[in-house]
Formats: sequence, structure tokens, C-alpha cells
Amino acid sequence: MSQRVFITGFGIITSVGNNTAENFQSLVKGRCGYGELSILDTIHRTNLPSCEIKLHDDELKKLTGVGDGRGYTRTTLLGLIALQEAISSAGLTNKEVHSSGLLSATTTGGIREFERHFYDLLDLSKEGPFAQFADTANPGEHCERMADKVGIKGYIATISTACSSSANAIIQGAQLISNNLLDVAICGGSEALSKFTINGFNSLMIVDAEHCRPFDNTRMGLNLGEGAAYIVLESEASLSRRSKTPIAELKGYGNANDAFHQTASSPEGTGALHAMKQALDSANVSPLDIDYINAHGTATENNDLSEGNGIQSLFTEKVPYFSSTKPYTGHTLAAAGSIEAVYCLLGLQHQMIWPNLNFQHQMPELSITPVRKLMENVRLKHILSNSFGFGGNTSSLLLASA
Amino acid sequence: MITMEGKKCYINGIGIISPQRTFDNSEFLPEVRSYDNNILTSVTPDFKAYLSPVQLRRLSRMLRIGMTAATICLNDAGIKVPDGIVTATGYGFLEETEKFLKELLERNEKQLTPTFFMQGTYNALAGLVALSVKCTGYNNTYVSKGFAFENALQDCLLLLNADPGVNLLLGSYDESAAVQYKAGMRENQFKKEPVNSLDIFSNKTDGCIQGEGSAFFDLSGEPSASTWCSVEGIQMIYLPESPDELKETINSFLLKHDVQETNVDLVVSGMSGCKSKDQLLENLERVIFINTPRAYFKHLCGEYCTSTSFGLWLASSILKKQHIPETVKASNHTYPSRIETIFMINHYFNRNYSLILLKRKLEVRS
Amino acid sequence: MQQSIDELIKELRTELVKQLNLEDMLPENFDENTPLFGEGLGLDSIDSLELVVLLDRNYGLKLKDPKEGRTVFYSIRTMAEYIYNNRPQQ
Repeated sequence: MSQRVFITGFGIITSVGNNTAENFQSLVKGRCGYGELSILDTIHRTNLPSCEIKLHDDELKKLTGVGDGRGYTRTTLLGLIALQEAISSAGLTNKEVHSSGLLSATTTGGIREFERHFYDLLDLSKEGPFAQFADTANPGEHCERMADKVGIKGYIATISTACSSSANAIIQGAQLISNNLLDVAICGGSEALSKFTINGFNSLMIVDAEHCRPFDNTRMGLNLGEGAAYIVLESEASLSRRSKTPIAELKGYGNANDAFHQTASSPEGTGALHAMKQALDSANVSPLDIDYINAHGTATENNDLSEGNGIQSLFTEKVPYFSSTKPYTGHTLAAAGSIEAVYCLLGLQHQMIWPNLNFQHQMPELSITPVRKLMENVRLKHILSNSFGFGGNTSSLLLASA
Repeated sequence: MITMEGKKCYINGIGIISPQRTFDNSEFLPEVRSYDNNILTSVTPDFKAYLSPVQLRRLSRMLRIGMTAATICLNDAGIKVPDGIVTATGYGFLEETEKFLKELLERNEKQLTPTFFMQGTYNALAGLVALSVKCTGYNNTYVSKGFAFENALQDCLLLLNADPGVNLLLGSYDESAAVQYKAGMRENQFKKEPVNSLDIFSNKTDGCIQGEGSAFFDLSGEPSASTWCSVEGIQMIYLPESPDELKETINSFLLKHDVQETNVDLVVSGMSGCKSKDQLLENLERVIFINTPRAYFKHLCGEYCTSTSFGLWLASSILKKQHIPETVKASNHTYPSRIETIFMINHYFNRNYSLILLKRKLEVRS
Repeated sequence: MQQSIDELIKELRTELVKQLNLEDMLPENFDENTPLFGEGLGLDSIDSLELVVLLDRNYGLKLKDPKEGRTVFYSIRTMAEYIYNNRPQQ
């Protein structure tokens, strides 16, 4: 018997808040994390402002209680903060945590520490404190380390599909639950800023030095960001055993591939359309029932055109409210899917729609316009959250109030 | 109590490039290559026979290997476009990542080209395969170190359970990169002294030898004309505390799949050649499957995060060819001439244990 | 002494074969008027970015907007002409 999948908790840290409450305040107040970099050592600190979490690694270690935190990368530390909040918010006991699954996503893993100590690490004649990062660059490492710290053993998986990663982690968690392989799956992602990603994206000429403007005709690219978020997925059976009231239901999801180009989406938004349609079909929900779409909306010329077209093609009768929250947090890459899922959950809880900040000029190619101002007291029941990445990976989550 | 429902799938085709001559499916280990320096690298075909000039121009060595393995697999299965692609890797495309980082540091973050950055992304292979065959279906990539391949296989099993009529391409890749070798040496993962790869089980020292490879499998939820065996189920165990815990898990796994120890014809084991990390598995051999012949494979492919895929190739090839190569025989038992059921157990540095059960497909009555 | 357009063309032939990994192409066979993108050589947007970097690294010329690449990188000849006309004076 296929299990319905509910959400019973979540945790988050971004450049606009170290926890759920702070993130919520920022969303309401329009406070953004965009600014000069002061913690990451890069020549681009002033010419490519990004959304940096203004906490040094030592402060993150204090917050997570990892002591001297030997071998803990920033990605792991950020992830741990969000994971600890998620577990606490779901009220899971140690035993329940033990049999849970942890599905975490990242694209950078420990690359930030690897690039910092690159020459030392590769010179085997050298020793020193840097050696704690000898084998932490690989993406799977952060997940195992977090699982070991909080005591998760039920299922361990790390996913990396570029910017759709944590959405896919959530989807796989849901699959494991609905197929009765897990009662609880904690799913999400974590990403720390690094020279590697800043320069990598810059070499693709899709980074905007100005504050990003999703769906705006003058948009020039994305801002990078760092952060982490995890949501606790739970089976209907477990919910009832724990007598827990769910926050929302993960009613449907879609995963497709654009198969157009390695780093660009098809202008028509075929992949986006497929992913969203799959999410709707899997939930048996009609386009007319969708109240809001949290768009991937990176503010690159390509994505917003592609996604906009995809939305228009799917929602032929009535296009729901939509917005991108990336002006708040920047593009947090692998963590974007879960961070934005948390923002959708906050929206459902408070019946609010977060605005698409910085929008001024209509794109002539689209007939649709994003939400420009904070909306309150909106009747929200079904929300779609989109995450699209390099490699043509397109994913969409359908969240519904419980 | 989590109850696991049996979910199986069928293997219809394979493409594998490894440190042995395995890229030609008409052969089965025609020769055994040994390595003396603890680093095993792939025996590759002429890529020009499989990839277009445009692909060859852009692709790194490992991407060529991965794309070719995928092509061989699809040809083997007689499939043009799968319905979904799921890949797995532990460390990703390290050469490209290293190249990009080197340039970044040497040029002080100025004037960098995008190719190395893009080719270094973990899902580059899954994306490129999708692009080359225009597969717009499900696409995912696991990077969970010693569980990556198993997670990917589990994902496929769930998808095929929901939609048995589709074909999924399951693939893995990992590189014998110098960067990872150095990381491994710092962490005492690899042997300190050179050991001939064929001697790693008799050598009794700590540390593994580094391997690499890319293996693709075409899977379906229903048997086809190309099917020769099924994956009956998979189970992962993270950080088992004792041989008893493993033994109990194996027994429940067999029970769930309605298989007795005595029904298993062969155990394919991922013994790694590292004395300390193999301890649990060695102790296990004394308490379970005592009377069952064993086969080891890591002397052929080395150790890497997704080496289970090499083991899966070996097990499924044994089922197909009904032949157990001498080089993999690892116990004094009498080896059967008819092999119907294979039990696989693998571990990655005594952290990630996995169990896989395979069965030969019985002849379909015409 | 500034290079002439013909000298630039000769240099670019070798540079492009190297930078774009055109394994089967000999620089001397690289026609300077063949369109690089679309119908001709079939390069794509990633190659375009590689050429942006080549212009910067080898000739000190920065293209701020990747769209400028469409005209500049039309062929080896247009590239040579662009460099000749815009190169910082030595």
C-alpha cells in the first residue's frame, strides 16, 4: 500500500537568517543577503557581491556543538545547523532519528577547504592542521559526517544534479517513504560559497555584479549564495503512530530532463514543462488548482525565458501567482530546492506569497508578470516549487496544506 | 519496524570499461591484467568507434569512458533511448576539477575558461548521455561515496516497481586520479608498499589498491528478449557494529526474498585486500555461507566508491555465461557448473555494506 | 610592432585548434572565412566562451557582453580584424 508523504518539520540557514524565524522575518521585511563578501577570501569580494552567511566557521562550530570540529567543512557545518533545527522541529526522538534516512545534496562538498589548502594537501611531504581536510572535498563526505553526528543510520544518500539537487533529494526521500522502505526521511541540501563556484559560474558569464532581477527584461544573471535547509518527510503511518500534526503534504513531484544543451535550457522550456506537469499528474491536481509557483528564477537570460515559457505553456487557462525568491538568498545551487521548499512551507503556514524583488521591466517574450509585493491573507492550498540545473535536470515539487 | 517489500528488476544489457579487458561483451575476462604500483587504470577501446568527433573534441578521458560504456550498454540491450538515466560516482571527475582549480589558483581567479568547470560537475555524464540520445525522462546522480551505486540501483528499483514497462539506464564512474590517490594516502586508505594486484588477498597488509571504471546496466521491470538475469533485491547497511548484526541482516534479506542459504550457488564478495577493513567480512565468512563457493573481484578492478558495479557485472556475467573465471575463485569449495542464484556482498572501507541478490532468468517457453 | 591581419589569422588558426581541441584539424587547413558557429564548424556557446577567454588572455581584449561574440567570432578573419582594430597600442 503506497504511503502518503507528509512534512513534519524543517530547518534552514541562509544569508538572511540563521534559523526559520529569522528567515521568515527577512521574507516579510524584504531583507536580502546580497552584499560584499567578508568571510570568503576571493578577489571578487567587491566586484561580485553574493549572499554570504556572516558567520565564520568557528562560530558555526559553536552553534552546532562539534567541539574543535576537526574535518568539518563549511558545507557540513551549515548543513548541520539546518539539520539540527529540522530534527528538533519535528520532535523526533533519538530512536526515531536512528532509523531515519538522511538524503542530502551538494555540488561543492568540501571544495572550499580543498582550494584553500590545495598545494599543501597535494604535497605528501607536508603535514599540518590542513590535513584534516585531506578527504573532505568529495560530496558524500558531508552527508555521512552529519549522519554520524546526529545518529542517523536508516538510509544514507547524497545527490548532486547541479541546481536541482536538493529537490531530487526530497523526491527520492518521498519515494522511499511511499514504498514503505522508510518511515522518516530528512531531505535537503547544503552549499558553502567557494572560489571554485564563483569563478566557475563567472566563466560562464552568467553572474550579475548587480543585485539580480528575476524575470526582468534587464536581467543580467544570477548572484551566488550559500545556505542549507532540510525538511522532515514522514509516512502517514508514522504520523499516526506519533500522533503528529503535519505541516503540509508532499503531494506530488516531477523529474525530467531538458536534453537540450549541457548548460542551457531550451527556450521553449520543455524540461520545465515536463517536470511541472509530472508533479501535477502524480498528485492528480489540475493546473487550475495551483495557487502559487516558487520559480527557479535565477535571473539568467536563459532560465527565466525558458521557465516563463514553460509556465505559460502549462497554465494555459490561468497562470498562478509566481515569484522567485533568489533576490533574497542568492542562488544557493544544490541547496536551492530545499531552501525554497521551506519558503513555500512558510508561505503555506502563514498564507503569504513572497515577492519577486527587483522586478521592474516586463519581458516582451512573456505575457506573465511575477508578484511584485508581499501578499498576505492569500488562500494557498497547492504550491509548486521549481528547481532546474545544468545537465538539463528539471525538478518540481508539489506541496499542499495538510 | 520497517518492512521491506520485494522489488526486483531485470538486466538486459551491460557496458563496462575497467582495468580489465571488459568492454567487449562477447568475451569474458579473456586475459587477466595485473598491476604493480597499486593504481589500476582502464583498458579502453578505440573511442572513435563509439563517439562522434564533436563528442571526442569536448570530452575528458573519464567522460569518454563513461559515454562509451553507456553506448555499449544500450547496444547490448538493443535500446535506442532509455526512459530514464541514473548515475553514481564517489569522487566525480577529478582530473577536470583539478585542472580548473589549478588554473584558478595560478591565474589568481582571472581569465578562466568554463570547459573544465562544466566537465567537472557530478551529473555531467548523466546529462551528456541524456543529451546524446535525447532522453527527456527521469535523470538523477548519486554521489554518496560507498553507497552511490547502491542508492542509484535502489532508485531504479523503486521507479521500475511503479512503472515496470520502462527501461532505465543505471551507470557508475570513478577515476583513478592522482588527487584522490594522494587524499587516500593521507588517510591511510591505500597500501604503503607496492603490491601486485593479484596478490592483495594473500598479502595481508593494510590498505587497498586504487581502481577505476565505468559500468552501465540497462534495467527493466519486465523481462524482455534480451534479459538474462534479475536483481531480486538490494539492502544497504551503514556502519554495522558486528558480524552478528550483518549475519542477522543477511538472514532477513534472504528470508524476505524466499531464498535459503543452501539455494545460493555462489557468493560474490567485495573483499578489498585491506587486512583491517576486511576483518568483519572475514569473520562473517566463518558464520554464514560456510559451504558456499566464493568469488572475489577487487584484485581485478581495485577499490573505488562504485566498485560494486564491477561486482554486479561479474555476477551477472557469470549467470549469463554459466562460467566462473579461475581468477575470481576464492575458496576451496567445488564450484558448480550450473549457477542460478548469486548473493553479493560488498563493503567500502568497512563503512558501507551492501547486499544484492541475483537470479538467472529461467528460459521462457516459446 | 603590431601584427598584420594575415599574421593574426595564421596565429589564430593554431590557437583555435589548440584551445578548442580540434584534434583532426590541421591549422593550415583551417579556412579563415568558414563560419565557426552554426553551419560551418558547428561550435557552440561553450566554445564561444572559450574564445572570449582566448581574446582576453592572448590579446588583452575583454568582451563584456557574450552577445558581441556573434559578430566578432563569426570567422577567423572577423576575429583577426577585431583584434587588429581594437588591440591596445603597444
